[in-house]
Amino acid sequence: MQERKTQKEGTMGSNSSDDFTTVIGPDAVFKGELRFEKGVRHLGAFEGQIETKGHLLIAEGARLVGEVSAGNIDVEGNVKGNLKSSGKVRLTSSAKLEGDLHTSRLEVADGAVFIGRCVVGSNGTAKPVENKPADANANKGPVEVVKK
Amino acid sequence: MVKSNRADKGKERDVACTHCGEPVRVATRAMSIFCPHCKQRLILEDYRIRAYQASRLFATCGDIVVEESGFVSAPIRVANLTVRGRIQGDIDARGVVSVSATGRIRGDVRASRLKVAAGATLDGFFRIAPDAVSLTS
Ligand SMILES: [Zn+2]
Repeated sequence: MQERKTQKEGTMGSNSSDDFTTVIGPDAVFKGELRFEKGVRHLGAFEGQIETKGHLLIAEGARLVGEVSAGNIDVEGNVKGNLKSSGKVRLTSSAKLEGDLHTSRLEVADGAVFIGRCVVGSNGTAKPVENKPADANANKGPVEVVKK
Repeated sequence: MVKSNRADKGKERDVACTHCGEPVRVATRAMSIFCPHCKQRLILEDYRIRAYQASRLFATCGDIVVEESGFVSAPIRVANLTVRGRIQGDIDARGVVSVSATGRIRGDVRASRLKVAAGATLDGFFRIAPDAVSLTS
């Protein structure tokens, strides 16, 4: 348990320092539309639209209301709105996300809260599930009770 | 993975009724009981699904593993759910829903925790919150 935590913090730390060329500070209150080419570290309060090809970090304590489109998105704070990621969305244990999520990959830490529509898959567009199984195991007996 | 943490924890355990949500104390080895609150039958076993399985409701106080060859087309009420195959239906899990790289879910999901491996496919309305998820309403 502890091991896993340290590992996660390690990964977080390693990509957090150099990735972010823009920082929205903790005392910033901002409304509007932001467009970036690279990473953004958001520590304040923002309402509006953020668009970046890079990495967006919504830090613990930060608030965001609106629409986000980014490469990778890490949520540690509070988000009310829709997230669209071409890469990976990571919700840490302090994250609260209320809104829709479209992403290729999703990582949810224990303790995170997420309420909203969720589409995860290749490019955030899940393929529809077919109605019939396409395998030969169909007559194997469907349910097996696991013996304890 | 499939083993529940309850196995060696004495002769009784607490589960939540999959029909009314009320807590029920059951014998560890019991496979089913009638809920003292709503009088409905409660399944307590763990399941492993390896093929196509469709039903009106698939409910157990135990855990369910849907293997890569498995495909469940049913609403599911469960303690913990591991998805390596496919599910089409709404999921209500008291504990963790784990979706592996081959797993696909199409349906709404309520759970305390969610684990998603790279490659997994999800599509539905999700409600993930650590506080106990009510099985009713
Ligand atoms: Zn009941």
